[in-house]
Amino acid sequence: MDYSSLRKGLIGGVVSGLLLGGLLVSGTLASVAHARTLDTAYGDVEVSDAPQRVVTLYEGALDAALAAGVTPVGAVTTRGGDNVAEYVEAHFSGERPEIVGVVREINIEAVLAQQPDLILAAAQLPEAQYRLLSRIAPTVVPHAQPLAPDSWEAEARLYGQALNREAEIEDAISAVDHRISELAAAIDDANAGGTAVLARWMPNGPMVMSKALIATGLLAKVGLEVQDAGLVDEGHPHSDILSLENLSQVDGDWLFLATLNADGQAALDAAKQSAAFTRLDVVKQDQVVPVNGQLWSSANGPLAAQAILDDIENALLP
Amino acid sequence: MKDAVTSLPSAVSSASRRYAPRTWMLILLTALVAVSVVSLLIGAGEVGPQRVLGLLLSASDSEAQFIVWELRTPRTLIGIVVGIALGVAGALLQAISRNPLAEPGLLGVSAGAAFAVALALVLGASAATLRISVAQLGALVGCICVLSVARFRGVGNDPVRLVLAGAAFSGLLGSLTSLMLLYDQRAADEIRFWVVGSLAGRRLDDLVAVLPSLLVAAIAVVMMARPLAALALGERAASGLGHHPTLIRWVAVGCVALLVGAATAIAGPIAFVGLVVPFVARAFAGPDIRRTLWFCLPIGPLVVLTADIISRVVVAPSELPLGVLTALCGAPVLIAVVRAKRLTML
Repeated sequence: MDYSSLRKGLIGGVVSGLLLGGLLVSGTLASVAHARTLDTAYGDVEVSDAPQRVVTLYEGALDAALAAGVTPVGAVTTRGGDNVAEYVEAHFSGERPEIVGVVREINIEAVLAQQPDLILAAAQLPEAQYRLLSRIAPTVVPHAQPLAPDSWEAEARLYGQALNREAEIEDAISAVDHRISELAAAIDDANAGGTAVLARWMPNGPMVMSKALIATGLLAKVGLEVQDAGLVDEGHPHSDILSLENLSQVDGDWLFLATLNADGQAALDAAKQSAAFTRLDVVKQDQVVPVNGQLWSSANGPLAAQAILDDIENALLP
Repeated sequence: MKDAVTSLPSAVSSASRRYAPRTWMLILLTALVAVSVVSLLIGAGEVGPQRVLGLLLSASDSEAQFIVWELRTPRTLIGIVVGIALGVAGALLQAISRNPLAEPGLLGVSAGAAFAVALALVLGASAATLRISVAQLGALVGCICVLSVARFRGVGNDPVRLVLAGAAFSGLLGSLTSLMLLYDQRAADEIRFWVVGSLAGRRLDDLVAVLPSLLVAAIAVVMMARPLAALALGERAASGLGHHPTLIRWVAVGCVALLVGAATAIAGPIAFVGLVVPFVARAFAGPDIRRTLWFCLPIGPLVVLTADIISRVVVAPSELPLGVLTALCGAPVLIAVVRAKRLTML
């Protein structure tokens, strides 16, 4: 109802613009109208001008929505957690989204209960789920992209379009770029760079994370030489669990250590139980940075990028 | 595969007529020493046999030194202990249930131990501490549950039905473990890789911690050998020889729990070793449990170490968990044993 009346209003605007005879005016309005039809992975999707009740079914979508100033009414949990990622908490102003499932298992009834007028989903959303969700509300699914450090930007722009807040998203993205160049200069001045590996510590050894993740991409952009020891296959987010005999391959100037869940310090303590770990140069020189796995290995979006850059700054420029 | 496996015992037993058991024992011990040496020489890393042998000439290669002494030596020792514990536990379980298919992994004893550890983790313990006694307690409960199922009329006489009861029990415990892990993410992280057995990254401290209970089990098994042999003649014969069948069974169950609990606490659940080892040992030693137990001592470590060496090299620079490999190799043996024309009753 809302939606059709809005559309009528929009058409009315275009018509009255034409009647006023200003070609320029009609041109801008037409471009606004055009922007409200989005090019998504499942074809063109029409969305309303000012969505009020947004449900995000992907961590990157929640991040982009908050960066654009919209607090969703529903969201999925972070991977391996019971709630949204910790870094997101600071960006809620009072209200917070209801949990409507986990990324791989969305609770359709919980989504329906929120009566959303816009659903922002992950590029990996299966078609069957898309069909169900798009009957609840217009569902925006980004085109699938190769695993690359900058893939999040295109997704965030699409979510921004869907929310009709493109300018805010552009600002957030350029703020990240600005921060990167500042931090890169500061790290260069402090001569704190060098080689870096991002690894996830498992009870029986480490997984080396791909150079194509947002976190490793940011490490590279601020001037660190990110390495994966040639262990990560193209398109895979991480290597298999490395044998302890090969642990020296993650040695370097910096080691960023995460677990699947939040507690990076716990990961470091667990790793220090292993003699193979404590004999690494990077450990002896105390250059291991325990990081939050929710943020460093599964989050993405402009807010996540800022939070990762915070961690990098705190570690390299204490 | 099936033919190879089923023909193994007959080939070996015809061979064992040619050599005295003592000679076979010597051959097996030599093989164990050889496999242990290979286990020090080969790994998933870049330190190969040449670099390790180079250590004998000069000790300047600190990387190789570390890998041999701090990584491969502990896992070889742990492999030997786990192999002995699981092999002997399998032989005991088969003797008291009079069932050639009784195996700690199949009957839910390992699942009981894993479940107990998961429960302890969810209740707040950390994996590094206290898991030995917890695993042994879980193994004991698992043992008792499955054997009490086996006491139902008819089930005890049919080897396959005991295995089915064990499979149902393992399934139940496995799903309860998964349920707890779903409920508690922290425990899930700590235990997810532990529920698949492996010798990688285990510390000698763990081994030292289980030695007292293994010593108790060893003494008990030595004292039990004769009564168990008597029990093989039947309950009445055993009673007639002055033994107490019920007491024998309970002590044996206690030993199995100590052995499997200890092995599971160090290395996680490793399936099928307890099935394969006594199976091969009987082929060398004949039906006498006293001799079978002796033969389990070299055969258990041989099986575990060989599987562990394979697990290191097949997917280098990563490693395959040992529990996955023993399951892959052990399942065909189980099928072969079940499909053999005549399933020997013990």
